[in-house]
Amino acid sequence: MVTKRRPPEDYLPLPPATFHILLALAAGERHGYAIMKDVSARSEGRVRLGPGTLYGALKRLLEAGLVAETEERADPEHDDERRRYYRLTPLGLSVARAEAQRLDAIVRAARRSKLLGTRPA
Amino acid sequence: MIAERIYRFLLHAYPPEFRAKYGREMVLVFRDQCRDGDVRAPGFWVRVFWDVVRSAPALRAHATQTVEVFMKIAAVVTVLLGAFGILGSVREWIAGSRQPMSTTYVLAVVLGVFAFVVLVGAGVAILRQRRHGARLALVVSLVLAIAARLLFPWMGILAQLAGIALPVGLLIALYWPSKSSTLGTA
Repeated sequence: MVTKRRPPEDYLPLPPATFHILLALAAGERHGYAIMKDVSARSEGRVRLGPGTLYGALKRLLEAGLVAETEERADPEHDDERRRYYRLTPLGLSVARAEAQRLDAIVRAARRSKLLGTRPA
Repeated sequence: MIAERIYRFLLHAYPPEFRAKYGREMVLVFRDQCRDGDVRAPGFWVRVFWDVVRSAPALRAHATQTVEVFMKIAAVVTVLLGAFGILGSVREWIAGSRQPMSTTYVLAVVLGVFAFVVLVGAGVAILRQRRHGARLALVVSLVLAIAARLLFPWMGILAQLAGIALPVGLLIALYWPSKSSTLGTA
């Protein structure tokens, strides 16, 4: 059965934690803890995902086809336990881009309304 | 390690199928957090508990498909109440026919019958997941029921609840935004 792919705009707006996860995966495939650390570093500690929030969001992203699992393997930086890795799908990349454009349009509107400086800080 | 045992216990807050798929990974991540953080600090455990409280109920609700079950029950109740409404209107007609009936009264009872027939149709549409058709049927049923009640004060409390309050409640439920639920709210 051929399922009709939903356009990226259908998934917007993304919950903040979900967008942060997609941003982390845009840089390459990651396992759960690497995503958490990436999100925390990228947001300068303002967004801290716990395991429940992270895997709950990943489960929904997997079901929606925005993220895919890759093979399990050990992370040499941590321990010898095998971990599940996640990567963005082409749809996930399109949705992340569409959300970034949506947020960019909002920021530009805020600049025009003088709520933000005219040049990025 | 006591911290890990506590966390494994907390994982029972999540649905079993979620635990089966992600439990091991979550324990690994928790172990990483313990290694990089201060397990004895109260703030560490506040964040752990807050994460469970924030994420587990939504996953449980998703797992049991609470909304879908609720809508199915509501649809069956709608069909039953609609059928009772039709019977009540017919009984009202029979009782009224023993004496001369005014045109307004006849029109009110006929509108009432139509309102409940359309209400049964709305219940069937909800069961078949035809949201658009259900909304349309509910609006039509509501308008007919209100018109019937305004023309002649013949409806009892139960008939008014079934004919007016139920369609209003179902319309609110059917128009409730559900788009964001695909990717959650976290």
